[in-house]
Amino acid sequence: MTRFAHAVREELWSHGRRVESRLSHGEAVEEPDGSITATDVRDDALVTRAERQLERLRAAMPHDAIVRLVAEAGTEGDTATMTVRIGPLSIVTTPEYLEADLALLRTAGVPPAERAASRRPLVWQNGTAAILLHEAHAHPLEHNHQPLQLPEWLHVEVPLTRRRETFRDVPLVRMQHVRVTQTNAPFALPKEHIEVHMVDGGAYEPLTQTITIRVSASSIGAFTLVEPRANILFLGARGDARRYPGVICSREGQELVVGSYAPTLIMDFRR
Amino acid sequence: MIYRKRGHVVRWENGTLLRVTESGAAREEGALFECWPERRAGFSPPLPWEGDGLKPVLRFHTERLIVTRGYAEHEYGDNRWTEETHRFHASLVHHHLRALVDREEDFEPIASALQRAESEREAPNHLRLAPNVTAAVLPFLKQARQTAGGVDGYGNPVTETSASFYRPSYRLRPVHMPFNLGIEHGVTAIDEDLPRAVALLAPAGGLTLRVLIEDRQAVYPATISVTKIEAVARERVWYPYGAGSFGAEMML
Repeated sequence: MTRFAHAVREELWSHGRRVESRLSHGEAVEEPDGSITATDVRDDALVTRAERQLERLRAAMPHDAIVRLVAEAGTEGDTATMTVRIGPLSIVTTPEYLEADLALLRTAGVPPAERAASRRPLVWQNGTAAILLHEAHAHPLEHNHQPLQLPEWLHVEVPLTRRRETFRDVPLVRMQHVRVTQTNAPFALPKEHIEVHMVDGGAYEPLTQTITIRVSASSIGAFTLVEPRANILFLGARGDARRYPGVICSREGQELVVGSYAPTLIMDFRR
Repeated sequence: MIYRKRGHVVRWENGTLLRVTESGAAREEGALFECWPERRAGFSPPLPWEGDGLKPVLRFHTERLIVTRGYAEHEYGDNRWTEETHRFHASLVHHHLRALVDREEDFEPIASALQRAESEREAPNHLRLAPNVTAAVLPFLKQARQTAGGVDGYGNPVTETSASFYRPSYRLRPVHMPFNLGIEHGVTAIDEDLPRAVALLAPAGGLTLRVLIEDRQAVYPATISVTKIEAVARERVWYPYGAGSFGAEMML
């Protein structure tokens, strides 16, 4: 029998004012027949640990934004994340990275109205290439689809494990993180290209193997990329893997934080 | 005032049986919404699982199959009420098509039609919508109205004109939403010879829908716009969209 237990403290703050506060706790026990029995039993030690994490988040959070704080303590470890939204842009961060991530959020500016994506080459900056590989490579692996064909200079680490959002959920095979690295990659910026700075979300459609990525800040403003993953061509990469502050992955209604790291990456489309 | 809920759910989710028992409370004070688990004595054990009914469905390959049975007791001030829920959700796949099913009785007809699906065609000018398709589009139709019956998330009776609040979980702030939407039309006779949209191929997000159309022996996917409604049949079937939606055969 395996046992999963956790306690979660969550708060929503709007410009320094607390508008939502939640406590949740419980455990799920996997029975010998494979079924799961879940109850909202309280483990005081887990609740105390979650409260402590929440206090740490509260102490660090900005007061001029909409901020969701989520502190979780459980049998699979403790996490503390903060989603910060200013206007249409958001980041998912932790107290350790808050200053740098907020700087990215504040300098990205307000994008103009969404426009159709051009099929110019895309230069994925600030670690956003991790989202591209999250949708085009990691989700297909969760669905037992073929891995994306990668050039020899590009490497993607995607550990898959059984994860669940809450004790009420059936655990699914999900990615833990996406770490993209490059070794001796070429890097020649195409004359015409679009620079991607921030990404708001994405999806993978397993039936058509098509990815959708909502770019929230780029050199042409916001746009949505919809493309069969087979059309993706990797042209080059540069630098070390940079952490991207913005990935809460939702599948089957279960939202999980996925660590995301990637170098600057140049991508084009098969034509 | 504090809202309290306790209940249990048995959920069959893609081959895994899950039994959940929990109880909790919520409070709204000004702009602040708070909720927390609250253990209370005297609650019966979870419902037995009657999974035999699933056998006909399990003959088909499903991309997703979630069946839920639930029981809950609610309390808000002097209002006390109970609720039993039966939910069914399946997605069926055939080549690049995905059909959505939210009522067990619709499963076999939709599965049968999907297996015969051919390539995309233009939508016909005149067609019928099956109740499951109508129910999904009602939240986007300004002619749709709340139907009286039951209570809302504060335990207040839902009437045709009441402002009602939907609270699907004690962990969520109630939201103003019409309950049990329905639509009526002066014409109720439906031309049974028209092609019929029998299933949604994508969740409804407005008045433009991706549907599976059955036209005698032919079955094909198409995109339709729910614009000029020519008739709505009287017989209605409830679907769990939003705070409930009554689908009815509709003619466009």
